[in-house]
Amino acid sequence: MTEDDDRVAYLAGDDTAGVDDATRTDLDAVRALLADETTWATPSAGLEDAVVAAIAAEAAARGPSETSADARPAPAPTALGAPDGQVVPLAPRRRRGLGLVLSAAAAVIALAVVGVALLGRGDDALTEVALEPTELLPDATGTARVQRTASGWRIELDATGLPRLDGGRFYQAWLRSPDGGLVPIGTFNEGADVVLWAGVSPEDYPVLTVTEEADDGDQGSSGRRVLVGRIELP
Amino acid sequence: MLTADELVRFRRGDPDAVRAVYRAYAGLVFAVALGALGRRDLPEESTQQTFVKAWRAAASFDTTRDLGPWLATIARRTAIDLHRREARRPTTSLDEVPAAAPGMVELPVGVERSYEIAEVRAAVDTLPPDEREIMRLQHLEGLTHAEVAERLGPPVGTVKSRSFRAHHRLASLLGHLREDAG
Repeated sequence: MTEDDDRVAYLAGDDTAGVDDATRTDLDAVRALLADETTWATPSAGLEDAVVAAIAAEAAARGPSETSADARPAPAPTALGAPDGQVVPLAPRRRRGLGLVLSAAAAVIALAVVGVALLGRGDDALTEVALEPTELLPDATGTARVQRTASGWRIELDATGLPRLDGGRFYQAWLRSPDGGLVPIGTFNEGADVVLWAGVSPEDYPVLTVTEEADDGDQGSSGRRVLVGRIELP
Repeated sequence: MLTADELVRFRRGDPDAVRAVYRAYAGLVFAVALGALGRRDLPEESTQQTFVKAWRAAASFDTTRDLGPWLATIARRTAIDLHRREARRPTTSLDEVPAAAPGMVELPVGVERSYEIAEVRAAVDTLPPDEREIMRLQHLEGLTHAEVAERLGPPVGTVKSRSFRAHHRLASLLGHLREDAG
């Protein structure tokens, strides 16, 4: 069997397929997602009509100048027993039993805002990104503030839980594309108040990673990731 | 994949085009919402809002690109907004909340996982219906090839070949989910 056949076989459930440990870990993650009912979940049958009715109602409210002259009249909504012509919310607004106590973990999460523009002025808009730890340093955490400038993309990183590295060892930040392409964006010794620069856009390289590196002459990544975050630009 | 004409008509609110977009992507949007929110009631509301928001913003969408990733992004943000709306509802006095009760958080706990769920669901949705069902039975219900054949009807050999094709396609589509170096 080829290496590709082994990967396919392992993904399909053949635990005896000849894949290396790294591939096995990756494919185990995919298998877990395939075994998760969330991946296969479907909305109720009535939701389609509700969506069509909601959009038709807004299109009608905008007036004929903004809709096609060929558009047919919106069908009467039938989802959830709604009376003809009336769009209703899907779920009744009922009180939930959520507690309001801020736990320490919740406070940390509350600081992490993913993909939210802090300023709204065109090219100067800031996007804040939450950085999550890996098993290498599970207590690490951080945020990155991403801003487009005339010189490129400025990324301010502020992380805690990263032990200082020096003496030939250091941290390196990268931007990664969906197909695995990597662009290095800077090296540093500890995680406080780090400024990085990228000459590629997070639109094309949306994943920010930080790895532990050594001055060993190897320009590539060590693969020892300590922080990961996804950049979602407004 | 929808045609450019369908996407243009979607922008106009054409009901048939809206249905086409919904049928192509409702599963993906719902899976993202459910993955992010982790509860059955809000994801349906989130899914509806996502398609309405997508329609409102459709003029800005490049019709030559795949709608899926764009919709998944809107779905995730909508789920976050709904989560925050629900978290802000005053319900119980702090004195009555047990120490171990979930706290108010800005982000739903499943939001990071929703990225991976979106990618897997998008890949699964590219499969022909028969291959998708075989994969669902194998992974979600844990059936063997023989059990799948018994459930669906085709010979075991047919099930095996369809299963191989489906897994081969997924392996190629989801290669980027791997934690490559960096």
